[in-house]
Amino acid sequence: MARFRKPLLLAAVLALILVCFFAPFLWIVSNSFKPQLGIFSDVTPISWRTFLPLDPVAENYRSLFARTNILHALLNTAIVAAGQVALTLLLCSMAAYALTRIKFRGSQAVFVLILLTFLLPVEALLVPLYQVVSGLGLSNTLTGIMIPWIASPFGLFLLKQAFEELPRDLEDAARIDGAGHLRIFVSVILPNVKVPLLTLGLVTFLFSWNSFLWPLVIAQSPDAQVIQVAIAQQGSPTQLPNWGETFAGATVATLPLILLFLLLQKYFTQGMAMSGIKG
Amino acid sequence: MAQVSLAGIGKTYEGAGANTIAGLDLDVQDGEFLVLVGPSGCGKSTTLRMIAGLEEPTAGEIRIGGRRVDGLEPRERGIAMVFQNYALYPHMTVAQNMSFGLRLARLPRAEIRRRVEGAAETLGLSGHLDRHPKALSGGQRQRVAMGRAIVREPEVFLFDEPLSNLDAQLRGQMRAEIRRIHDRLSATTIYVTHDQVEAMTLADRVVVLKDGRIEQQGSPQELYDRPATRFVAGFLGSPQMNFLAATVRNGALDLGGGAVLPLPPGRPLPEGRRLDAGIRPEAFAAAAPEDAAFHATATMVEHLGATSLVHFSHAGQDCAALMEPARAPRAGQPVHLSADPARLSLFDADSGRAV
Ligand SMILES: Nc1ncnc2c1ncn2[C@@H]1O[C@H](COP(=O)(O)OP(=O)(O)OP(=O)(O)O)[C@@H](O)[C@H]1O
Ligand SMILES: [Mg+2]
Repeated sequence: MARFRKPLLLAAVLALILVCFFAPFLWIVSNSFKPQLGIFSDVTPISWRTFLPLDPVAENYRSLFARTNILHALLNTAIVAAGQVALTLLLCSMAAYALTRIKFRGSQAVFVLILLTFLLPVEALLVPLYQVVSGLGLSNTLTGIMIPWIASPFGLFLLKQAFEELPRDLEDAARIDGAGHLRIFVSVILPNVKVPLLTLGLVTFLFSWNSFLWPLVIAQSPDAQVIQVAIAQQGSPTQLPNWGETFAGATVATLPLILLFLLLQKYFTQGMAMSGIKG
Repeated sequence: MAQVSLAGIGKTYEGAGANTIAGLDLDVQDGEFLVLVGPSGCGKSTTLRMIAGLEEPTAGEIRIGGRRVDGLEPRERGIAMVFQNYALYPHMTVAQNMSFGLRLARLPRAEIRRRVEGAAETLGLSGHLDRHPKALSGGQRQRVAMGRAIVREPEVFLFDEPLSNLDAQLRGQMRAEIRRIHDRLSATTIYVTHDQVEAMTLADRVVVLKDGRIEQQGSPQELYDRPATRFVAGFLGSPQMNFLAATVRNGALDLGGGAVLPLPPGRPLPEGRRLDAGIRPEAFAAAAPEDAAFHATATMVEHLGATSLVHFSHAGQDCAALMEPARAPRAGQPVHLSADPARLSLFDADSGRAV
């Protein structure tokens, strides 16, 4: 009997976990299809009506796209995320190359120092970062949003591991073939760490797309708003927030991530397993 | 003309206490096949990598073809190197692997093609040019690594234990192939191995390294027949030479355990001198009990096919003798052996030098 019970139990636990993760999301999506009144009347008592719009309306989406600059914010977010991914990959892989392939005094110390910055919570960095970035004249710019994060200690750590696993002989062979550091980096090392690069790229994309606090601090102007900030700030200070639009915005903001995840699922999990640390 | 000469080469790795290589002098003639052998950690790879330019020596000069090369980049030295684990670029096809260096050197495409196809032809890789290394067998990967060296048309080939990842049969095949290629291209070859069969079969000259110094050099047969030290004697030859503690007594060699052999002809030695006597396993011969010098019990017998290796213990030393299978005893049976005094090697018991 115990044999039969075990998988059942497992299935039950998994189902519970799934519900816990899935319910809020379902709630967001279903609310985005309800009129403002319906959202509130369905909250309590919790029933299936909370999670399913009985007669769905597209009104929230219509007004979201008509009234707010969400498309512009989406574009901003995409630019920031893409730029952040590209620059993070470039910077971290070059740093990892230097730390694993070029002998210099104190390289270990440099690595440890970089990793130490990992230990500081973002909240503690916020004020000094703001001073530096706005001091550089980058407040209210997309560059200002991405620049503090492109030198990612997490990325360096991940890529350093990957680089160290590549046999040294490859590089020796390339040197005999006449390659210098740049050529070895581009033509021998990078093509052999595609999976770690992809993983880091995905984690960075996710981090960038979902970031809220820093963009809120550094880029207030509508021109430079990213999606998360735009959603939170729709509705002016004098108005009640339009919750339907908020939910619609949240849904729109999540869709690209879901698509990406479905496409490249394998690398997400690999990234988590490889680092043992959350990005 | 690609003579390679090392003069007073030294290497101390940062952080390592002792010198890895100390004051190494070595001249390799143009077209010579030189084999560097020695136990693990004796500095063979280090020496080779210094010649290649992958490591800088901390002392001395390296010349290739009369030109001073230390300080030059590997590509400027006219060398090619084959690594133990092949070091093929995993993301490139066989053809791309072989042509990488040529493409970097911006050779004309037609020339690159000519060379790659020529090398593939020589190595039997013509059908595999579009494959990636992971789709090749160990032997084929080995060939690609050689091909990558050949297309560079180097003046000096450097090999670092290129065959140690292959099985015995392939190793024999590739050994012959390497020698054939060497003879055909008449390039200078420096070959590192710790396999003494490779050393014996491939080399024009063998250099035995120990602790970063040259212990002895010479033709394979010379080293085999007249080892200069006990270390070389023990290192070359398989199965290994037997060593017995010996004393000169009454003008003869007392090997302990009642075994007495006449002194080797033409080598008078003072009474009471303590020596190590080296007897190759094949220098033993089965003898009638009354003629034999060694009387023992076989502890183990290994049948190798053409011969049998009989293990026995003499005066507390484990020994082994090669015998014809028909005459070999079984384990536990008595063995009676004689040894040809002319084939004895004698070493000073303290210094290990040949006397
Ligand atoms: N990069 C390095 N840093 C410090 N020490 C090193 C380095 N490379 C080699 N050594 C040391 O130098 C000595 C000689 O090494 P080397 O690789 O030349 O030996 P080898 O004769 O090729 O041995 P094997 O037969 O095992 O390949 C060893 O004691 C090794 O530990
Ligand atoms: Mg070695």
